Amino acid sequence: MSYLQEVDLGGTFPPFVSFEEHFGMVPNLFRAQTLLPRVLEGEAELMGAVLFKDSILSRIQKESILLAVGVEYQSNYCVALHYQVLRSLGVPVSQLDQIVINNRKAALSTSDAALLDFAIKLAMRAPWLSREDIELLRDRGFNDESILEAILVTSLASFLSTLSTGLSPLPDFEPRVIPTSNHTSPPKAAYVGGTGGPYLRAVERSPESFPPFAIFLERFGFIPNLSRAQTLRPDVLEAEMELFGDVLGPKDVLSHLQKECILLVAAATNLNTYCVADHCEMLHIMGLSREEADQIALDHHEADLPKETKALLDFALKLAGRRFRIGSEDIDELIGHGFTEEHILETVAVTALNNFLNTLQMGLGTTPDVKPRHVYTLKDALPALAEEYPAEGTQIDPDASLVAKVQAGDLEAFEELVIRHSRRVHRTLVGIVGNVQEAQDAFQETFLKAFRYIGSFEGRSTFSRWLLSIATNTALQSLRERKPLESFDEEDHGEEFHPRLVRAWGDNPEQLYSEAERRELVERAVMRLPSKYRVVLVLRDIDQVSTGEAAAALNLEITTVKSRLLRARLMLREALAPHFATSAKRMGL
Amino acid sequence: MITCSEFMAEFGDYLESEVPTKVRQQLEDHVAHCRTCQVICDSTRKTVKIVTDTRSFDLPESAVKPIVDRIMAKIRIGQGS
Repeated sequence: MSYLQEVDLGGTFPPFVSFEEHFGMVPNLFRAQTLLPRVLEGEAELMGAVLFKDSILSRIQKESILLAVGVEYQSNYCVALHYQVLRSLGVPVSQLDQIVINNRKAALSTSDAALLDFAIKLAMRAPWLSREDIELLRDRGFNDESILEAILVTSLASFLSTLSTGLSPLPDFEPRVIPTSNHTSPPKAAYVGGTGGPYLRAVERSPESFPPFAIFLERFGFIPNLSRAQTLRPDVLEAEMELFGDVLGPKDVLSHLQKECILLVAAATNLNTYCVADHCEMLHIMGLSREEADQIALDHHEADLPKETKALLDFALKLAGRRFRIGSEDIDELIGHGFTEEHILETVAVTALNNFLNTLQMGLGTTPDVKPRHVYTLKDALPALAEEYPAEGTQIDPDASLVAKVQAGDLEAFEELVIRHSRRVHRTLVGIVGNVQEAQDAFQETFLKAFRYIGSFEGRSTFSRWLLSIATNTALQSLRERKPLESFDEEDHGEEFHPRLVRAWGDNPEQLYSEAERRELVERAVMRLPSKYRVVLVLRDIDQVSTGEAAAALNLEITTVKSRLLRARLMLREALAPHFATSAKRMGL
Repeated sequence: MITCSEFMAEFGDYLESEVPTKVRQQLEDHVAHCRTCQVICDSTRKTVKIVTDTRSFDLPESAVKPIVDRIMAKIRIGQGS
């Protein structure tokens, strides 16, 4: 029995029908929330879009993320549920036991192992996540859509485990023994703060044609970058909007001010610079001074709030931070302050929603919508240990330990680095040189140079960026030797490029061809671009490095990179248009 | 209302979601009324998506080991081991 009473919503309550269909039963976690059916409606929308809907990641991959993250959160409830779901999907018990005991030793494919490593890092050490972690997934063959899904499922795991901690439902299945040794300690690496992105590609959506954005504009006057960063999955954005509406919209239980305060203190305990800035701004719009909002984020006990609200925020803070167990005494204390079970349920739901958003934001690395008045740093994260850590702003390098081993003379560690980076370096070189044979020579040269100079690599950038700059320089040198007439270094003369083919493209032009056909069309078109445009396009759109990083690797001004990139994209569009514009395939082109 | 040339001048930053809200609104107003820029904008975005997703110039998994072995052999020879 959960902390809160249950009411009978009947057998046809749509969220329960959906859970029956996809879990084979209604999990107790949702039965524990029947006091507020609207909250369940929003949750069912989110579960449907993120977990149940067929997408790039399989249900087994998604459930495995939920299981592995549940283990890290030490959530007996979530582990029992997702373990059983995976069993019913045919995953062998031996493999499931191994994920629970130590996922790194489970017999998983290298890509699935990388997926779980990523999810666990995001769940447990989100402030330390960086673009490099996204790159590792890309190198394992995950595209931006599937990485976005992994981030969403991990955020959902955070949501579900917060709900189960706050409500304490009885497990639906036999609980598994979770080893405490899996619990990850804070990494000995710099704190970066989760606003160095956005890490993933997004598409522009107009508020005129996309209702969630119209609602944001109407209510807040802006569209949050966190939502803009998820436009690859408009259905998920719509589901999130439903959940926001169902949890945050009504004021019949908690007031809007109380909910916003919960979001603020919970985001602050999760060190989420982006969300704290947004919630401070919202409180300011609601009439609080900026200083009052700052005080609530810093320490709500010192803020000018009623003592009941402070007790509510104590509870939310304890729940959001996952550092303490919630017990029936916490519920009794809130009841002692005059709160009803509906109040408590809504507090748990708002806190769970906060943890979903905080995880999502750290995974996407979105830049703040408003200038943060406080940027969370290593000192906030671990005040006692701050001095032991590298300076703020230092990037985290997933290759650091391998690099250190190579510097100590370990050749096998270098072999691992070569394997890890071979596909990316190959893409860069072929794209820039424009010729597979020459690229293979440059490939060998790149890694030999890296080995020769790795002793002097001091970690000022990540190894991956350092290697990219070696590869780029090696490729450009090869290009200059081969084609002295077609100068990469030639200046731009500001000539405008006028697109000629303006026939519309269909909704999913990529479906006109098989993957192999598409790749051949793209590679042929990219190879035909003049080198100075091709190089920029390869770095930016194929390697997916940032504009600043491309500029640094090529020793060009950012404005030059930007103008060449646009020109390259337009030229490529022109070259692909005969194949992808509407009816192209029908016409036999 | 901005012109097509003004639209193209901001188009690169727009694709990268790097324009201020006010400029973005002007660009979106323009696209809503100009069929040519609407098609260019939409098809350029789709071009970027296709290029990004096809993982062009990828080294086939089967080619990784031989190429890595060659590099490591050279390094070991250079080390005298």
